[in-house]
Amino acid sequence: MLWKRQIPILIVSLIGFATLLGWFFDQPTFKSFVDDDATQWFDILAAFAIFLGGLNLLKLQTQKVLMKQKGWQYSLFAIGGLLFAIVAGFFVKGNPEVAWGAHVTSKGTLFKWMFNYMVSPMQATMFALLAFYVASASYRAFRIRNFEATLLLSSGIIIMIGRVPLGSYISSWFILYLIVLVGGIVVNTIFKNKQYTAVAVLAGIILVTVTGSSMGWPVDKPAVFYLPYLQEWIYRYPNSAGSRSIMIGIGLGIFGTSIRYILGIERSYIGE
Amino acid sequence: MNDREFLIGSGVFAASFIIYLSIGAPHFITGRLVMFFSIVLFSGILIYSTRKAQRGEDIFLRTIPGLKAVEEAVGRSTEMGKPVLFVPGISDMDQVETVAGVIVLGHVSKMTARYETPLNVPVSRAIVMKAAREACKESYLVEGRPDMFHEDMVHYVTDEQFAYAAGVNGIMVREKPAACVYMGKFYAESLILAETGNSIGAIQIAGTASQSQIPFFVTACDYTLIGEEFFAASAYLSDKPELVGAVKGQDMIKVIILILIFSGVILRMLFDLGYLNMNILELLTVR
Repeated sequence: MLWKRQIPILIVSLIGFATLLGWFFDQPTFKSFVDDDATQWFDILAAFAIFLGGLNLLKLQTQKVLMKQKGWQYSLFAIGGLLFAIVAGFFVKGNPEVAWGAHVTSKGTLFKWMFNYMVSPMQATMFALLAFYVASASYRAFRIRNFEATLLLSSGIIIMIGRVPLGSYISSWFILYLIVLVGGIVVNTIFKNKQYTAVAVLAGIILVTVTGSSMGWPVDKPAVFYLPYLQEWIYRYPNSAGSRSIMIGIGLGIFGTSIRYILGIERSYIGE
Repeated sequence: MNDREFLIGSGVFAASFIIYLSIGAPHFITGRLVMFFSIVLFSGILIYSTRKAQRGEDIFLRTIPGLKAVEEAVGRSTEMGKPVLFVPGISDMDQVETVAGVIVLGHVSKMTARYETPLNVPVSRAIVMKAAREACKESYLVEGRPDMFHEDMVHYVTDEQFAYAAGVNGIMVREKPAACVYMGKFYAESLILAETGNSIGAIQIAGTASQSQIPFFVTACDYTLIGEEFFAASAYLSDKPELVGAVKGQDMIKVIILILIFSGVILRMLFDLGYLNMNILELLTVR
């Protein structure tokens, strides 16, 4: 119980307090422990732990191949890749002029070849898939289902068009005419009367046309309907307000969780 | 520790710090004094709420749909005879989000032990693998099902971000889990994982504090724990008074921060208008 409960909690509390106080005190020895030594301890632990991870990977994939489990052929590639990386990293440099250690980043070595021609292209392939996933996710997010989704769609369109050069050529008056037409849809939905709708749309069009003629149809006026300005406003105000409130919540959550660990209130990480 | 001892302890701490300040506070970075006091004050509020909850005060915790859905997701997997996939993010245990994710994993594994549902936890860091294994092992023991626990339910894939995403996607496509739970720190791989999960028709629950990934999870998952909801998950799922009390404490701190924001705006406005000599921004800026 002492080794499984009290001592881990004590270590977490001590290191937690030390790290927290390291921000407030500039005593050199203490500062160097918090900033350098403690993080190096973690790196050393992680470096040893990677052996556990590698062995676990090898064990599972080998089991899959031996037992001919579903998709065992893929495991052959996983095992082959792991062994090839070990050989290229520890046994075969491929370029005798390069020193051991430097061979992982130097040109002309087997490890660098593996990185440039296998690892990098495969990572790029996975990253490129993101574009298609963004498209399919956007399609689902922008489907008009309710008021919030409609709001998201409108904001999304304004931001997308307002941020490209084409957006600056779209006059505010064009947006105003669009708003008049959308207003017509709203009137029709509420009153379900063609005459009312026609009157509302006509009145709107006349109002916009008269105002536009009197002002000389400037592209960016009224500024509130000019897409580059509008997108900037959406991005800087409603968007910032929302993201900052989430940020404050996240900050508080992290603070609360950290304090719970340091004070030993939260003990779930040791299985309690 | 009873209330009296707690108060005496707090008094001794305050008195020691005042003495330390009065002798010139050697090695203390004075530009961070306000932050230090804020941390002490907020910690005090958290401890107070926790102690109050431990004494039996009834605390209301609003329903968080995402957390309520965890049990539903495990139940669905049980009915379909398919596994539950838990992804604890791609960061190491030095990130508080990963630790929070592993804690949620502990609760999820209790449910899978109870319902006898297979659990699959691919991880991208070896230390996370060890921690997650311990969490699962304890949960299966607590539920009285140590026979169902096997170490390989938590397995290492790779440290590389996109290789990990490819590996987890492969598991999803081959095993077709009925529920995918993403709790931890995520980067660009979040959408790749969530969209693949969506394509196989799994019920998906995500929780992260990575702000830039929240929109992706909201779009592709059925439930998303946003920001602090994710950190409240442990309290909600365990229903332990001390953890629920801490959540209430966080709400009290939030009220204080709101008051500070409003009063800060007013004080700064008065300073700009020349009615006040003290610049609140100077006082609150951490150096």
